[in-house]
Amino acid sequence: MHKFIAIVGTNSDQSTNRKLLQFMQKHFADQAAIELVEIKDLPMFNKPENKQVPAAATAIAEKIDQADGVIISTPEYDHSAPAVLMNALEWLSFHIHPFVDKPVMIIGASYGSLGTSRAQAHLRQILDSPELRARIMPSSEFLLGHSLQAFDEDGNLIDAQKLAKLTGLFTDFQTFVDITAELNHANEANRQEVQNVNWDKL
Amino acid sequence: MKLVGIAGSVADKSYNRLLLKFIATHFSDTVDVEILDIQDVPMFNQSDDQTNSDAVQYLSHKIQQADGVIIATPEHNHTITAALKSVIEWLSFSIHPLSGKPVMIVGASYYDQGSSRAQLNLRQILESPGVDAVVMPGNEFLLGEVKDAFDDQHNLKDPRTVGFLKETLEKFVKFVKVINTMNGPVEDDSWKSEDLEAHGKVETTIEGVDMHAADWVEQAAAKTHAAEGDDTVKLDRGVLTVNQLNYFLNSMPMELTYADANNQFIYYNHNADAKDMMAARTPAQAGNPMADCHPKRAIPHVQQVIHMLRTGKTDLFKLPVPGNGPEKYIMHYYQAMHDAKGEYKGINEFVLDILPIVKYYLAHTGQVLAKDPNAKADAISGASAKSADAKPDSVSGASADAEPEQPDEVSAASADPEPVKPEVDSVSGASSNDN
Ligand SMILES: Cc1cc2nc3c(=O)[nH]c(=O)nc-3n(C[C@H](O)[C@H](O)[C@H](O)COP(=O)(O)O)c2cc1C
Ligand SMILES: Cc1cc2nc3c(=O)[nH]c(=O)nc-3n(C[C@H](O)[C@H](O)[C@H](O)COP(=O)(O)O)c2cc1C
Repeated sequence: MHKFIAIVGTNSDQSTNRKLLQFMQKHFADQAAIELVEIKDLPMFNKPENKQVPAAATAIAEKIDQADGVIISTPEYDHSAPAVLMNALEWLSFHIHPFVDKPVMIIGASYGSLGTSRAQAHLRQILDSPELRARIMPSSEFLLGHSLQAFDEDGNLIDAQKLAKLTGLFTDFQTFVDITAELNHANEANRQEVQNVNWDKL
Repeated sequence: MKLVGIAGSVADKSYNRLLLKFIATHFSDTVDVEILDIQDVPMFNQSDDQTNSDAVQYLSHKIQQADGVIIATPEHNHTITAALKSVIEWLSFSIHPLSGKPVMIVGASYYDQGSSRAQLNLRQILESPGVDAVVMPGNEFLLGEVKDAFDDQHNLKDPRTVGFLKETLEKFVKFVKVINTMNGPVEDDSWKSEDLEAHGKVETTIEGVDMHAADWVEQAAAKTHAAEGDDTVKLDRGVLTVNQLNYFLNSMPMELTYADANNQFIYYNHNADAKDMMAARTPAQAGNPMADCHPKRAIPHVQQVIHMLRTGKTDLFKLPVPGNGPEKYIMHYYQAMHDAKGEYKGINEFVLDILPIVKYYLAHTGQVLAKDPNAKADAISGASAKSADAKPDSVSGASADAEPEQPDEVSAASADPEPVKPEVDSVSGASSNDN
C-alpha cells in the first residue's frame, strides 16, 4: 500500500482544504495510508545566514523523504497560493531537498466557483523550479469550488460527480507514482544537480 | 511626489532593500521615497485577524497616504517570497489600501534572469480583485547577477543600468499622475470636512467641559484628575515629574502648540506673555476649538493645511511669517503627529526665529550672506513686501493643491512665485484672536 504525505496548504483553523484531505484520508483508507501534515508552526522564512533550518521543517522533510508521494491541497489567496504554503516550500528548498523527483498531486478548495485554478497553476510553477524539482502529476486538476457547501455533516464530499473525478485522479496518481518509480535513471543526476544549485555561489 | 518602497525580504541582508535605498537616495530630486519595513508583519492567518496590529496598520496608513508604491521583489522558487505575499494578503483581507494605487515593480536576484518570474507573478497577484492595485504596464526593471551590481558605496555600478532605472522611474512618475487623476475627483474639496469648531471628538477629548471657557485648563484637569506638580509620568523614553516636564517644555527655544486630531487647541508652552510672543497666545485660549483662534477669512486656509497633514499629503508644512523687521526671520512649522500605527494624532506647531541660527553658522564658519544673482525677484523681495496686496487665495491655491509636489514650495517665499499670505500661518496662532 502506498504511503502519502498530505500537506494542508493553510494555517487557518477552519479549512475546507483540510476537510478535503481528511475526507481523502478516510475515503481512500483501503487504497493508501495518508498522513496529514500541518505547516502552521514554521517561522517566516528569512534566509538565515547560518543556514539553520528549523526542526519543524526538517521533520516535514523527513516525512516526505519516506513517503511514496505528496498530496498538496491549496486554498487560493489573491489568485495565488497562500503565503504560509509558499513559506513551507521555501524552507523545504533551503539546503534540504525532499521534493526532488517526488511525485506530487495538487488539489485545492476555495469558496468561489473557480476552485483555486490560479493558485494551482502558481503552485505547479513553484514546484517545478530548479531547487524543488518535484514530479507533478501532469494534465490533472481537482478544483473544488464553493467549498463551504461541499461537505456534509460527516465530512463527506456531497457532489457525486466531484467524488468520481477525485477517485479517478487518485487512482491515476497511484499509477503515476509507480511509473515515476521506474523513471529513476536520472535520479542521482537530479539530486546532484539540485545540490549544485547553490545560490550563494552564483 | 510621495512614494513608499517595500522590499520583499525579511532577511538581514537584502539586495532588494539596497536597490530601494539606492532609488531613494539617487533619485531624491525626482521622487520622495520612504522605505517601509515589513519585518514585524506576522504570517497571514485567515483565522487570526491581525489587521489591527501596529505593523499592518502602519503599512496601510503609509500606503494610503502615498501617491504610489514601489515594490522590490526577490525571487524564491520562481515566485515572490512568502514574507511579501503575507503582507499582500493582510492588505487584501479586511482592508484594501492598495486598491487603485499605482505600483511599480522592480526586482533583484542572484541569477541572470533577475527575478523575471517573480515579477510576473507579483503583477498577477497585485491585479487580483482583492488587492486591486494598478501596476505600471510594460516596464520591467530586472537586476540580475545582483551580487556584482553594487560598489562598496552601495551604488549601482553600471551607468546604463542607472540610466534605465531613471527612465523607468520617470515613466512611473507620469503613470502615477495619470492614475491618480483618473481615480481622484477633479476638484478635491475634501478639506472642507475639517471641522475647526471641534464638534467631533477623539478618544482623548475631555467631555463635559466648555472648550470656550477661560479656565478650560483648570476644569479639564479637575475632570480628569490630571497629574500635576510632583506627580510622575512615564514617557518614551524616561520618567519625569509634571514640574520637570514644564521646565523642559518651557525652556525650549521655540513656541510649541498642540492641536489635537479633533482640531482643538489643547496646549502651548506658556513661558511668555502674549505681547512678547512671536505667535501670540493667551492662557485663556487653551482648550479652544481652532476656529476661535482664527479670523473667519483664514479658516479655509487653515482647513486646507490641517487636511494635508491629516491625510498625509505632507507631514510638515512650513512657512515664514513676515512683518517682524529685518532682525527676525520667523518660521512657523506644522508637524503632523502619529501614533505607532501611523494614525493621525494632531499637529505639533513650533514657531521660532531662525535668523540667529543662520548668523551663528555664518560667524563660526567665516562666511557672509550674498545675494544669489539667479534668484527670482520674488525670492529677494520676500513675502513680506508682497503680502499686503496678496489675493486671499494665493496660498490656499497651493496648499489645497491635490498634489503638492514640494510642500516646501507652497510655503517658502523663495521658491514660490506667488506671494505668501500671512494669515495662513495662523493654523493655531492666536495672533488674530481679536476678531
Ligand atoms: C486574503 C484572501 C484572498 C483571497 N483571494 C481569493 C482568490 O483570489 N480567489 C478565490 O477563489 N478565493 C479567494 N479567497 C477566498 C478563498 O477561497 C478561501 O479563503 C480559501 O481558498 C478557502 O480555503 P480554506 O477553507 O482551506 O481556508 C481569499 C481569501 C483571503 C483571506
Ligand atoms: C529558497 C530559495 C530559493 C531561491 N530561488 C530562486 C529562483 O528561483 N530564482 C532566482 O533567480 N533566485 C533564487 N534564489 C536566490 C535569489 O536570487 C535571492 O535570494 C534573492 O532574489 C536576492 O534578493 P535579496 O538579496 O533581496 O534577498 C533563491 C534563494 C533561496 C534562499
